[in-house]
Amino acid sequence: MNWLREVARRLRMLMHRRQFDADLEEEMRLHLELRQQEHLESGMTADSARAAARRRFGNVTALREKSHMAWGWGWFEHLVQDVRYCLRMLRKSPGFTAAAVLTLALGIGANTAIFSTIDAVLLRQLPFANADRLVFVWATDAQRGVNEDVTSFPNFEDWRAQSKSFEAMAAFTTRRAMLSDGEKAEMAPAVQGTPGIFELFGVSPVLGRTFRPEEMEAGGSHVVVLGDAFWKERFGGRADVLGQTLRVNEEPYRIVGVMPPGFRISRDKPERIYVPLVRDPSRGHGFLMVLGRLRPRVSIGEAQTEMSVIARRLADAYPKQNGGAGANIVPLVDAMAGGAKTGMMIFLGVATLVLLIACTNVANLMLARSASRMKEMAVRAALGAGRRRILQQLLTESTVLALGGGVAGLLVSSWMARALVASLRQFNVPRLADTHTDALVLGFTLVVSLVTGIFFGAVLGFSAGSSKLNDVLRESSRSATEGARGRRLRSALVLAETAMALVLLAAAGVLLKSILVMRSTAPGFRSENMLAVEFWLPARRFAHDPERIQFFKSALARAETVHGVRSVALVADLPLGGGSDSLGFHIPGKPDPAPDKPFQSLFNVASAGYFRTMGIPLRAGREFGDLDSTNTAPVVVINESAARRFWPGEDPLGKHISLPDTTVLTVIGVAGDTRQLSLGAAPRPEIFLSYMQPGPPWSWLVMVARTDGDPAPLAATIKSAVQQVDAGVPVTDIRSMDDVLALSLAQPQLFAGLVTAFAALALMLAAVGLYGVVSYTVAQRTHEMGIRVALGAHRRDVLSLVLKQGLGLTLGGALVGMLCALGATRLLVHLVPSIRPGDPLTLTAVSALLLGVALAASYLPARRAMKVDPAIALRYE
Amino acid sequence: MSRGDDLHRDEIPPGTLYLLILRTLARSGEMHGYEIANSIQRISDDVLQVEEGSLYPALQRMLIKGWVSAKWGTTAGNRRARYYQLTAAGRKQLAVEMSQFERVIGAITRVIEAL
Repeated sequence: MNWLREVARRLRMLMHRRQFDADLEEEMRLHLELRQQEHLESGMTADSARAAARRRFGNVTALREKSHMAWGWGWFEHLVQDVRYCLRMLRKSPGFTAAAVLTLALGIGANTAIFSTIDAVLLRQLPFANADRLVFVWATDAQRGVNEDVTSFPNFEDWRAQSKSFEAMAAFTTRRAMLSDGEKAEMAPAVQGTPGIFELFGVSPVLGRTFRPEEMEAGGSHVVVLGDAFWKERFGGRADVLGQTLRVNEEPYRIVGVMPPGFRISRDKPERIYVPLVRDPSRGHGFLMVLGRLRPRVSIGEAQTEMSVIARRLADAYPKQNGGAGANIVPLVDAMAGGAKTGMMIFLGVATLVLLIACTNVANLMLARSASRMKEMAVRAALGAGRRRILQQLLTESTVLALGGGVAGLLVSSWMARALVASLRQFNVPRLADTHTDALVLGFTLVVSLVTGIFFGAVLGFSAGSSKLNDVLRESSRSATEGARGRRLRSALVLAETAMALVLLAAAGVLLKSILVMRSTAPGFRSENMLAVEFWLPARRFAHDPERIQFFKSALARAETVHGVRSVALVADLPLGGGSDSLGFHIPGKPDPAPDKPFQSLFNVASAGYFRTMGIPLRAGREFGDLDSTNTAPVVVINESAARRFWPGEDPLGKHISLPDTTVLTVIGVAGDTRQLSLGAAPRPEIFLSYMQPGPPWSWLVMVARTDGDPAPLAATIKSAVQQVDAGVPVTDIRSMDDVLALSLAQPQLFAGLVTAFAALALMLAAVGLYGVVSYTVAQRTHEMGIRVALGAHRRDVLSLVLKQGLGLTLGGALVGMLCALGATRLLVHLVPSIRPGDPLTLTAVSALLLGVALAASYLPARRAMKVDPAIALRYE
Repeated sequence: MSRGDDLHRDEIPPGTLYLLILRTLARSGEMHGYEIANSIQRISDDVLQVEEGSLYPALQRMLIKGWVSAKWGTTAGNRRARYYQLTAAGRKQLAVEMSQFERVIGAITRVIEAL
């Protein structure tokens, strides 16, 4: 405890420094005076008595300083001194200060903003007990290269029974469900989970109970647990909802519980309700996501090893359904973030590059300033400041600037983070909305600021340490410049900055190019004046073919009569919807591609006139007509990709396919390809069944209507026309096809926009940096330029001399940047899969842009150099 | 700071200044700086000449260590002065320094007498 008391004493001294100095002074004065008195009494003169007393005492100032320093606060007092001095200096040059702080604020702010979203999505503890032990257990499929795959109910049960690593396991799937309380119906995301899924998270309902084990069996499963948002919106948060009935997909469910706010299982759209998952005995039907809570002290690696063994055992036991299936354990936090994680890391990398460029710029600014401050440094050194003391002062200055940048950066970041969250809202990233500045974010900003400060402080110190300060003092003010080492350093900095800017420009270029490509890609249909109205068919009432087909016919007939509608048709999956199902089928007369592996194609359903209405061209044959019905032979229309894939070099018309249920269908037409997933993904083989012929009960259908003009005003009329046919068929979505087209571009456009914004910032900073270096050299070489002109050099020669310096640096930087960009742009595949990394045209274009900006940035100072008046320049000593 | 350490020349054996101050205070109770200097000089029959000012940094270090405590009082001549007093820790330190000193002196003596 002694050291504690010692620290307390030292701290007390620090608090009362002034009093301490006064006391010491008084004490010493008393000593001197008493000694002087003694000498006087022994007969000395006043003067010699004082001198003798002083001689015996020693150097008063040095001793006072030594006594003061004994307390160990020297570093602190120097720091305070340096900070004060530096603040005074910064106040004296507000232009420099503003430029430096603003530059750093942009860099630090961008990093903080991205980090705060990463913090919210990935780092902050999930709001569950034992969140670090919660994992997703995915199936994997080596053949398809999928490592986050769904699994079947029997597999889930075997996993749960055989594994010892988990305290609990639960499975769920996400569905959209029709929810109605008798008045209002809505289509909402729902989670079907096994009993125990809430307990696995350790979250209790705020009201009522969760599922009971027996509610997993068919017949006993008509209970529902409400999510907080749904409960508050639809039931006003009332406690008497328990026991009430909610109609889920037209069937009555008893409300048994309500979950607390913030509880969420689905990775996609936040679910509104929870219903029990009914046991599905089919081992081939993969639709479940599995969650597990690890036993205490069981690592993910151990659980992974065990699950791999179990998965292999199941693959051996059921080769037909489980062949090639493995298991993959992913921590819940990572699984929830899903694809967002990679994107965020890429953006953090981009922001780091911007910060590095900002640092380089400020270091350059300070180098230019420190060159003019060489004299000050030299005077300090001459007055006895050690090199360490001078370095300490430089470091203080850079750190004060960086901390200033950090504080301003927090403001920038809170604005940027808000914009980022708003623009990412449509992608439903879990927990992104929780983004805020918490202690971790503040700590991050502080660390980034300090590292930034130390980084360019070190750069400064490196250059200051290079010149011999004494020489500087001896020389005239004109030549008091940084040495060759300093010049090289500045050039290297600009080169690095240019290289980093090029990497960002290349990234932006590659992304923008992919958007241009997507924009110019024909989606395969005409989107203008086209409306898409999505319906949901209650499965129970439309389970039988006649009712369903009758409804389709009546609805189409009714919608066709709406004034302004040219033609209408039905389809199950819209182009660019991304939701088509891939199914297996056989081609009579052709062997399957592999044993147990039938042909695979997307399957869709369309009504008569679909292709004409959508403006999809027919390449051969005909499309569905009114004559195709229950009584005629079943037919399909295929797209061009399917024709090429399944009947290469043959005429597909009249050929047959057979479905697993042994229905044989005849190909009657080949339609042009449409983009099913996105504009960036190549068309895939697609086979269209007819709505008017028997088939499985598809619950979804979209009515597409070609209109005479703007389709938006007709939406309500078309909707009510269909609901006049059957009021119990809810409309779930109405969009114009132009909107569908725009939506499919939204995500790549957002990424491209963000990266382009960062790249523009980088380009601007790099231009400012280059401008600074070239201007500085021009200022330094004014004298030389004057001599050159006086000796007969043309002004053009002077101009090219300066331009060469600027362009040389840029070319060097562009070359280095190009090499880095070739690698870096590859990472962008994770953001937009359809990009072409290292596209030569794009790289050439961005390099040209960089060179153009560099030319402009060095032309301004070069023109100044050209206008040098030799008479003035030579006098300028 | 590096300056100052090499400026003063102690005419007392290096490292014994603490010992001298501790011992002086142990003998006489409260004293201010001037009295300590005089006392060391007088008792040593003017053999030990302390560079008087160097008492003060030493006293500060002893204050930090907690070997002495200080409080302000008035001198016989009615002047304000800072009086130093040994603490319990100071007494312990004195014993340590004494035994260390005796060990060194003893060793030196043995070396000299071995001649």
